[in-house]
Amino acid sequence: MATEGDQLVKLESSDHVIIDTDRKTAERSMLIKNMIEDLGSPGEEPIPIMNVSETVLRKVIDWCTHHKNDPPPSAEDDADSRKKTTDIEDWDQKFMQVDQEMLFEIILAANYMDIKALLDVGCKTVANMIKGKSPEEIRKTFNIQNDFTPEEEDQIRRENEWAEDR
Amino acid sequence: LAELLNMCDGKLLGFVASFVGPRLKRDPFSSLPNELCLRILTFVDDAKALARSSQVSKRWRELVNDDLAWKSLCESHAFRRLSDEAPVSHSRRVPAAQSSNQEHNYPYGLHNSALQGLSSSAPDLTRRISMNTCPAMLADTQSPRVTPSSTNKRRPKAMTYRSHFKQRYQVETAWRTGGTVHPRQITPDQGVVTSLHLTRNYIIVALDNAKIHVFDPEGRHLRCLQGHVMGVWAMVPHGDTLVSGGCDRDVRVWDLQTGQAVHMLRGHTSTVRCLKMSGSNIAISGSRDTTLRIWDIRKGICRHVLVGHQASVRCLEIHGDLVVSGSYDTTARIWSISEGRCLRTLQGHFSQIYAVAFDGKRVATGSLDTSVRVWDPKDGRCLAQLQGHTSLVGQLQLRNDTLVTGGSDGSVRVWSLQTYSAIHRLAAHDNSVTSLQFDDSRIVSGGSDGRVKVWDLDRGVLIRELGSPAEAVWRVVFEEEKAVVLASRNGKTVMEVWSFAPPAEDD
Repeated sequence: MATEGDQLVKLESSDHVIIDTDRKTAERSMLIKNMIEDLGSPGEEPIPIMNVSETVLRKVIDWCTHHKNDPPPSAEDDADSRKKTTDIEDWDQKFMQVDQEMLFEIILAANYMDIKALLDVGCKTVANMIKGKSPEEIRKTFNIQNDFTPEEEDQIRRENEWAEDR
Repeated sequence: LAELLNMCDGKLLGFVASFVGPRLKRDPFSSLPNELCLRILTFVDDAKALARSSQVSKRWRELVNDDLAWKSLCESHAFRRLSDEAPVSHSRRVPAAQSSNQEHNYPYGLHNSALQGLSSSAPDLTRRISMNTCPAMLADTQSPRVTPSSTNKRRPKAMTYRSHFKQRYQVETAWRTGGTVHPRQITPDQGVVTSLHLTRNYIIVALDNAKIHVFDPEGRHLRCLQGHVMGVWAMVPHGDTLVSGGCDRDVRVWDLQTGQAVHMLRGHTSTVRCLKMSGSNIAISGSRDTTLRIWDIRKGICRHVLVGHQASVRCLEIHGDLVVSGSYDTTARIWSISEGRCLRTLQGHFSQIYAVAFDGKRVATGSLDTSVRVWDPKDGRCLAQLQGHTSLVGQLQLRNDTLVTGGSDGSVRVWSLQTYSAIHRLAAHDNSVTSLQFDDSRIVSGGSDGRVKVWDLDRGVLIRELGSPAEAVWRVVFEEEKAVVLASRNGKTVMEVWSFAPPAEDD
């Protein structure tokens, strides 16, 4: 028997591609959930996801599909997820093995579509790319130009020496 | 393009990779809006990584200097180590009864949970060892410094999460690998240290040679309290008042500021073995004469004599109107201070009781029968019998749901009072554990093997040994940024004051 969660939802990407999914999957996004609630039902018209391109939207929907049966986020979720920073489940880790541009697009999309769990996974992934690296290694990781003068660099290194001291 | 690449050899592919590689990389902090960058930084959650991040580029430095990431770091560390995150000048432990009224000035009003954790903690004084701050002392928390050179009190309060975190981090690092120590010989002859207290204004040391030495918090000798004619076996400070007792059977009340004796309270017919205070006016003593006495130390009179034990009263602990006494008659008794009568007798140990801890909710007793028992003070029921020590359990501290015990078998055990099971078994000392204290993050133990050891409470591992081994360690107490060790070296009694305070702020 078809339930409410199985209802078909059409999403329209920024590049005007219509992607079909089910309501339960789509409602991992608080943006979409609120829109559907405002409408009363998904309706016939596709829901425009204006800031997200087709490739990214498909990727986001993949994530939502895998996580559609997760318990809804609770009020304490915020504090909870912060406790275990490096905890990213295996499936999510594989999911996040994409190039950096896609990774940042996913973060932006998760933020826009208000999918907190996905946003956190994305931010944690970036944080883990930063951790355990020297400043130069971080620059290499993200192809960043060092725009400090040698004097500035020296000064900042001294300011931060305390944190190296363990 | 695939066909083209298929035609390339390794060298060419290497070139393609090095050409393409950087183009696939992107600075997250220039691609993403500030709020998302900061969100990422809150997940970095590691001081070293954050500090290194601020050295990457101007943009990164600007973001890392935003306090949000440091706030998050403070919070995550507070979660693991409550005590570390309490700002220095307010971090001393507060007796539970008074704590709810104390205003703690947390930067930005953070650490609500940390504050609760600290406030709800039990008065965790082990037998003659305490680091208690009395209400009278807390009252002058905001007043000008009494001791001019106390570094941690002169230090300006951290104004940002970053500087706050930095200070706490440096203290933590000093506890692990650093710290400075000032040793002082306190007696020309050999004296056994029977009691040691570290308060806001004083370090107080009692000896079996009848003397009580009073030092400032830095360890400078202030005065010697003379009057007892035999060994001092028990003492308890409260603000500028000290109550002491020993072999000469007298309980003496002293003014620590002047060194004058205020009262000499007579009544016990044998050695005074233990002393505690309830508020600023009431002192309770336990004696080898089998009684406890409740004294009004302002008026200098005995209010009640608590009779019931059949042998020496060895230890006592107070919470609210209740006093729990442990005796060589193998029982512990719960008494009402105001009514001066016995409410309950805790029976179960097979041998002498040497140590008691009491937080209002639970009583823990340590005995020569090698077991530790946990009791419900409301009905006197034995809630658990903790087995594991192989000799006398003489050291006990109770704090929240954790009990730490030390025995003459040299081991230190950490117990969960939720499951009544051992969490850690530490082979701490070759000989007796003579001193034991723990807070939210660490345990410090001293042994008759002459060693002082610092342990990680959560992980149950040795962090370091404090100083070189002495002949024997009599007593150790510590607080946030300080530890005081009383030991015997080359036949002399020495006091070593360790400081883990961060260096003066230079940025």
